[in-house]
Amino acid sequence: MPRTEPKQLAIVAGLRTPFCKAGTDLRQAAAADLASHVFREILDRTALDPAHIDEVILGCGGPDAREANVARVAALRAGVPQAVPAFTVQRNCASGMEAIHQAWLRLQAGQGEVFLVGGAESMSRYPLLMNDRMQGFFEKLARAKNAWQRARVTAGFRLGHLQPRVALQEGLTDPVSGLMMGLTAERVARRFGVGRQAQDEFALRSHQRAAAAAMAGRFAAEIAPMAAPPRFTGLVAEDNGIRKGQSVAALAKLRPVFDKREGDVTVGNACQITDGAAALLLMSTTRAEQLNLAPLAIVRGLGHAGLAPSEMGLGPVHATPRALESAGVALDAIDLWEINEAFAGQVLACLRAFADRDYCRNEVGLQDAMGEIDADTVNVNGGAIALGHPIAASGVRIVLTLMHELRRQQARLGLATMCIGGGQGQAVVLEAA
Amino acid sequence: MKNTATPTSPVAAPATEVTRDAVLYDIDSDGIAVVRLGSAHEDIVTLTEARIASLEATIARLQSQPGLRGVIVTGARPGMFAAGADIGAIRDIVDPAVGEAAAVRGRSAFDRLGGLPLPVVAAIEGPCLGGGLELALACDMRVVSDHPSTRLGLPEVKLGIVPGFGGTQRLPRLIGLPKAVELIVRGKLMSAEEAVRAGVADWLAPSQRLMQVARRELVALLAAARKEPRRKAWSAMTRFLSRTPPGRALVRRKAERSLEDGTARFYPAPKRAVQLCLDALALDAAAGNALEARALGELIASPISKALVRMFFASEAQKRLGKGDDGRDVHQALVLGAGVMGAGIAGVLAQSGVRVRLCDVSADALAAAKARLQKDLSRRVQRRSLPAHEAQATQDRVALGLREWGRLDRCDLFLEAVVEDLGVKHKVFAEAISRGLPEHAIVASNTSSLSIDAMAELLPHPQRLVGIHFFNPPEKMPLVEVVRGRQTSAVAIATACRLATKLGKYPVVVKDSPGFLVNRCLTPYLNQAGRLLLEGLSPEAIDRVMLDFGMPMGPCRLLDEIGFDVAGKVSETLGAAFGDRMRAGTLVPAMVEAKALGQKTGGGLYDRGGDGPGPGRAVLDRLRGRGQVVSISDAEIRARLVYPMVDEAFRCLAEQVVASADELDLGLAFGIGFPPFLGGITGFAASEGLSHIASTLDALARRVDAGMAASDALRQHATRSR
Repeated sequence: MPRTEPKQLAIVAGLRTPFCKAGTDLRQAAAADLASHVFREILDRTALDPAHIDEVILGCGGPDAREANVARVAALRAGVPQAVPAFTVQRNCASGMEAIHQAWLRLQAGQGEVFLVGGAESMSRYPLLMNDRMQGFFEKLARAKNAWQRARVTAGFRLGHLQPRVALQEGLTDPVSGLMMGLTAERVARRFGVGRQAQDEFALRSHQRAAAAAMAGRFAAEIAPMAAPPRFTGLVAEDNGIRKGQSVAALAKLRPVFDKREGDVTVGNACQITDGAAALLLMSTTRAEQLNLAPLAIVRGLGHAGLAPSEMGLGPVHATPRALESAGVALDAIDLWEINEAFAGQVLACLRAFADRDYCRNEVGLQDAMGEIDADTVNVNGGAIALGHPIAASGVRIVLTLMHELRRQQARLGLATMCIGGGQGQAVVLEAA
Repeated sequence: MKNTATPTSPVAAPATEVTRDAVLYDIDSDGIAVVRLGSAHEDIVTLTEARIASLEATIARLQSQPGLRGVIVTGARPGMFAAGADIGAIRDIVDPAVGEAAAVRGRSAFDRLGGLPLPVVAAIEGPCLGGGLELALACDMRVVSDHPSTRLGLPEVKLGIVPGFGGTQRLPRLIGLPKAVELIVRGKLMSAEEAVRAGVADWLAPSQRLMQVARRELVALLAAARKEPRRKAWSAMTRFLSRTPPGRALVRRKAERSLEDGTARFYPAPKRAVQLCLDALALDAAAGNALEARALGELIASPISKALVRMFFASEAQKRLGKGDDGRDVHQALVLGAGVMGAGIAGVLAQSGVRVRLCDVSADALAAAKARLQKDLSRRVQRRSLPAHEAQATQDRVALGLREWGRLDRCDLFLEAVVEDLGVKHKVFAEAISRGLPEHAIVASNTSSLSIDAMAELLPHPQRLVGIHFFNPPEKMPLVEVVRGRQTSAVAIATACRLATKLGKYPVVVKDSPGFLVNRCLTPYLNQAGRLLLEGLSPEAIDRVMLDFGMPMGPCRLLDEIGFDVAGKVSETLGAAFGDRMRAGTLVPAMVEAKALGQKTGGGLYDRGGDGPGPGRAVLDRLRGRGQVVSISDAEIRARLVYPMVDEAFRCLAEQVVASADELDLGLAFGIGFPPFLGGITGFAASEGLSHIASTLDALARRVDAGMAASDALRQHATRSR
């Protein structure tokens, strides 16, 4: 079959909410609140007639039961017409990046040309769940036919029934390998000899770079200030996870949280638990021209791959070659990188794996090592360690940040990639327009 | 009317003969009569004398109809039950005996309908108001359609009368005293759902199946051999408050207390209504009915009712302003300036379904705008008058732009509520246009002191610039001045009026002249209050006189609300335009200097809560010196405050700031709260005597202040009306 030239998918607008630590300013905002806010802002700022949108695609790692198809809820609330369909995608940490992927695939398949995509996560609102015993208790109670049976069931109630399941904790545990995400990070760090100090230094740099970017106003272009529901008592305009006074000494004092005896992963060198959303307006370059909207960047290629769930942190190493291939560019051609900072040790392990001949041959199936990546081109405005990782929002945020940075540096090619809980990786190659 | 023997579908039964204001009926093979209160072509059905007569004739025929098993009473067409009595007829009744006779006739007709020895079911969709609801209450059962147009209520008190066709008697007996008093005294309208919840209606039916459901319920009544359906018993509390003398005394006391507050005390109808509701439960039906008819007769002929009916017609006329074909609908707006006015306007727009982007340079002001809207919405959700998802949709309509306007290509309205500075206004208009504001959109200013014509300079397509002047607070104040500049197009005016109507406000179109209508008439009034203060009167004394006159708020309190800084600026602008009569005395600048601006600072003449003396009293004492004791009669205080306002109002009329006396009255009633029961400002002036006002002003001019002399406009009106 002759290979046809893929249609060009352009980013014409992108915004995000401020990223706020769970339990702080945005704690009461549901995923749909966050997503509809950025959707609405994109519509207001582009003045795009929302009827032109062919599909709304939103990633969400853990939608609330009240808004299971959170994409649809957010779209309608943002003023997208009822006739425009919407669906929610879930690929764990890459749920938002998957939304970009879906838009690209739909464009190639002739299933639409204009897409409003994003990722949204309210980690504050991950619920406490009833445990199985409590659920069984309620089931029995509902089946009880008379007062005697009801009394008998009620008598079976024990305090232990009230022990909740913590959805957030369960969500961050891989059920196949049985490992919490932090433990998978310990594994990959050890495999590539990344020690505690290197991890802490990386974490510090993330904060420093993010603080510098915030200070220089580089995030202002991507943040749409938001009044937080339900009381709207203030306008939140800035990320609140960046620690300006962070030091290696302070980081070194923290105790490991996952492997409490021998581990290196602390709350200081892992990503923060955060609420936020990010969105992009994507369309074919031809449609952008018709609608008189200037492309900011072109999505040149995408790729995703699977690997061992227990080493999920190395996902970027597996996804990147596929994305590069689909874009038809070499690793050296990439001017700027965004590797999502799930864990400092995990990002550092990735950088070593890219340059590791054995790993690339044996595990990725390449002929040779992919090459050295200059650490100064990676996450130049900091990452999730400083800004936080609202699961589905991060994939869109790193693409958004990469796009702005490419334009600012007048660079050409950038690659955003992330590891995915459950053992996957995903990557997007951007070219500044 | 149709041959009663022909079996036809009751729903499809056509009205064969079209008579004006006729009640039609049709009997099917099951022996069920469907009575329609009008013919399908009638737009609005009111209970005119002719229609009552036709109803009487219909009932007479039904009474002698063999084989009749039940009756369904319904509207002329879907979406129209009966909008109440004929208000034109109410206006024309000047003799209490005539009013009483009309009440007796209508009520007896309804009695006979309800008295038919078979079940009578009302099937209600659309407005079922006043006499319409009283008719429905006479039926044995009420089925209401869930169509959004369905509204039930007894709003008679708003016209200065009481329900006269048995409403004050039937409603308390149906739903108990407390709820009946609440409904009748407030004149509140209910949706179908609320009516069922209140017990006014018995069953909620889907709109499409209203007639089927009514028929089914009727058949069920027949099967159970009942005339009326079983109803849930009243709660113990309702029984106590309705059936026992001490309970009723409690209800009366509570109602009467609420009717002593504010301007409510000037309106006799609600008090009469309370008494009639009590009578309904204390006396037998005949006695109660007779009292109701007599009360209606007395009230309907009273000047207060006449005044309120006139204001009603005037307000209906203003509401129609937006309905013309010229106006466009506003769907999306950008409101610039999140101050008190801009934030309020944005909230009002959102509540009426307009998507709005509110922009400002202050993050706190922006968030406060949403917080303010949320407070209002939450309260309504809590009171169950607004579903939570609709509250959320309203809030979702408001986007905030911190210095970020976005693109305006999809806006139909750009409205500025920024600082009153011509240069700034020109700049923001230019910015709006550079950001893509389309040619069809209207450019609106909420200015109260600048000229629309001056703003229109430099604006491309100046014909789209229109003043839309809201009053503070926009959520509550029912008036909007739509300001017509020299170049303003008819489309822009119509669009602004349509928008105002959509927001539930009354638009009054005014000429672009300093102070427009309301502030201009208000200024001499407030200035006179300032002068009286300096002469030694206390704010309390002045305010009391005006509260007794019927104003919702005294002038000193009002100055505190407006703020002395704003009042000062307005009188400065108006002074420059109209001369000394508009200039504030020494009080206003002194208050500004002392930073006792009013409620927005720590208080003005009154303290922050508005109850005790505020920091401004010291300023007052300093200015008027010690030992000055004055004694001015209440009548003189009233004349000195109100007459200059009357004079200014007639100047506005003569200069065609407003087109008609009706609009003048409406503007001042809704803008300032000039007592509607006095018949608006022109009604008041007429009853006071224009020449008397003119000569009093002239006397005051000689004695107090030359600027108070009566204007030629007033004098000419005086001679003309003599």
